[in-house]
Amino acid sequence: MNTVEDIFSVLEEKFGAKRDTQDKWGVAAIVSAAYLHNAAQFLKESAAIKFEMLVDIAGIDYLTYPNHEGPRFAISYAFKSMSVPGARIRLKVLVGEADLKVPTISDLFANANWYEREVFDQFGIVFTGHPDLRRLLNHVEFVGHPLRKDYPAQKRQWLSTNDYLLPALEKRLEDLGYRVVQRSKEVGTNDNEYLEGSIKE
Amino acid sequence: MIVLDPNGEKLNLMPLNVGPSHPATHGCLRFLAAMDGETIVASVEEIGYLHRGFEKMVERGTWQQVLPYTDRLNYCSAIMNNIAYVRAVETMFGVEIPERCKVLRVIVNELSRINDHFVCIAAAFQDLGGTTPFMYAFNPREEIMCIWEKLTGARLTNSYARIGGLYRDSYDGFEQDVLAALDSTEKALKDLHACLDRNRIFLDRTVGIGKISAERAISYGWTGPCLRASGVASDLRKDEPYYDYETYDWEVVVGTQGDCNDRLQVRMAEIEESVKIVRQALKRLAPGPVDIVDPRIRVPAHKLAYQDMEGLIGRFKSVYEGIRVPEGEFYCGSECANGELGFTIVSDGSGHPYRIKVRPPCLTQFAAFHELVEGGMLADSMAVLSGLNIIAGELDR
Repeated sequence: MNTVEDIFSVLEEKFGAKRDTQDKWGVAAIVSAAYLHNAAQFLKESAAIKFEMLVDIAGIDYLTYPNHEGPRFAISYAFKSMSVPGARIRLKVLVGEADLKVPTISDLFANANWYEREVFDQFGIVFTGHPDLRRLLNHVEFVGHPLRKDYPAQKRQWLSTNDYLLPALEKRLEDLGYRVVQRSKEVGTNDNEYLEGSIKE
Repeated sequence: MIVLDPNGEKLNLMPLNVGPSHPATHGCLRFLAAMDGETIVASVEEIGYLHRGFEKMVERGTWQQVLPYTDRLNYCSAIMNNIAYVRAVETMFGVEIPERCKVLRVIVNELSRINDHFVCIAAAFQDLGGTTPFMYAFNPREEIMCIWEKLTGARLTNSYARIGGLYRDSYDGFEQDVLAALDSTEKALKDLHACLDRNRIFLDRTVGIGKISAERAISYGWTGPCLRASGVASDLRKDEPYYDYETYDWEVVVGTQGDCNDRLQVRMAEIEESVKIVRQALKRLAPGPVDIVDPRIRVPAHKLAYQDMEGLIGRFKSVYEGIRVPEGEFYCGSECANGELGFTIVSDGSGHPYRIKVRPPCLTQFAAFHELVEGGMLADSMAVLSGLNIIAGELDR
């Protein structure tokens, strides 16, 4: 009978994972960004308990955390098992300010696409290999990353236009095997012109 | 726009924008569809029109001040969100809540679920042009709303749970009110089934529409009734039981097709199961305290604050400084009406939450929306959308 603890020791052995002592209630493993994709793939496909579902991705900014040492950001991935009900594990990746890059796992889990867009939106962490890294919740014209601890909550910004979805739609058509011959006449040659046309005064 | 389809045939597609302010988009969702006549060839979604910065706001207040914000996540079952949040914090404290509190939480949880499912079913039929089922579903919902009003003082965005207990005990006549609401729920279900189960128009609009396989739904991280409609018997109340859910006699409802009709039928059957749970819970409701006695977690009662110095200090410190949740990081998910509502909580041991990340069940369901509607008719997309029960409040936070 395998337990989540056994899975953790395999992670430790294979991917050099360290126990996250902050999580006193569940099992959490800190892995390096380089091993993240492999570790997630291992959890999904070949672990003794398969963790088929990615439940959540949460970004954390430790800027004002008391007595914090180490990289400023962390990303926490919560997984749950469908075959063994009740089994859960978290992976955590530490991200330093100098290199805000983490490999994407959106090729493994379909919902990682939007979750990673959200972390990029709120924290400015770049997911390398992500097919479509745009803002998710905040406005297309928004400047900055609001969930960082140094972003002032009272700050106001003037935002006036919708997301420009036509290029995204063309990309989706191409993913489905279509080829765009002639673009819609609403599409300009430069995507930024769309934002320049919005009301600013 | 002119495109070549995979077979090399030329098509003239029209980009059509739906939403964000459209009566069938339930709040403010937007999608852009490439239309070939009435058929959706490709679709992309945009969300965030109701983004209020929940996660930024909660970092400014104390742990208790998060509660009213959680009401605004899924505003069709506000109390359920409270309970999911306080359960996460109570797990971090490692405290056990009194028996009566547990049973009361189960009752309000299941009544909220009934409420939420009724709204979903009613709105789905309204969107398809059926006004009669809407009224059938809203009658028992109104009775439950009246119970909320007596219990909490508010109808829609109400908070009842507190960290370490409840806002107050139930009122005199609560049991009778709940039983009456359950009776009308059962009557409404009968009426709804009579209206819909063999209704040709309804079946034509929903059977086989917006299908998703179990594997795909799992990959998208679907939870709750939408996942169960695809045939996966996954319910946190059974898988990771809390509040003694495992000791009640009820079944996990599972669909077979994973289409729009199944998603609505699963919700109707879940209402029946919830009615069963509430009836059993009412029998277990024995007199007793509803709050734990620990001024570090649950604020001392008013009576104590007026009579006793310790009570006054406890109240003062709890309100001004906030309770001190043990330092650490934790993810805790609870089974809400739409699926797993999870909170990733980071505590630095102070009276204020360092970071709370909400995992809304709707987000993953709406992320798969394009896969459900592509290849279908534009009118079907509305049937799919209301069957998913997207609540913009928790989708956008």
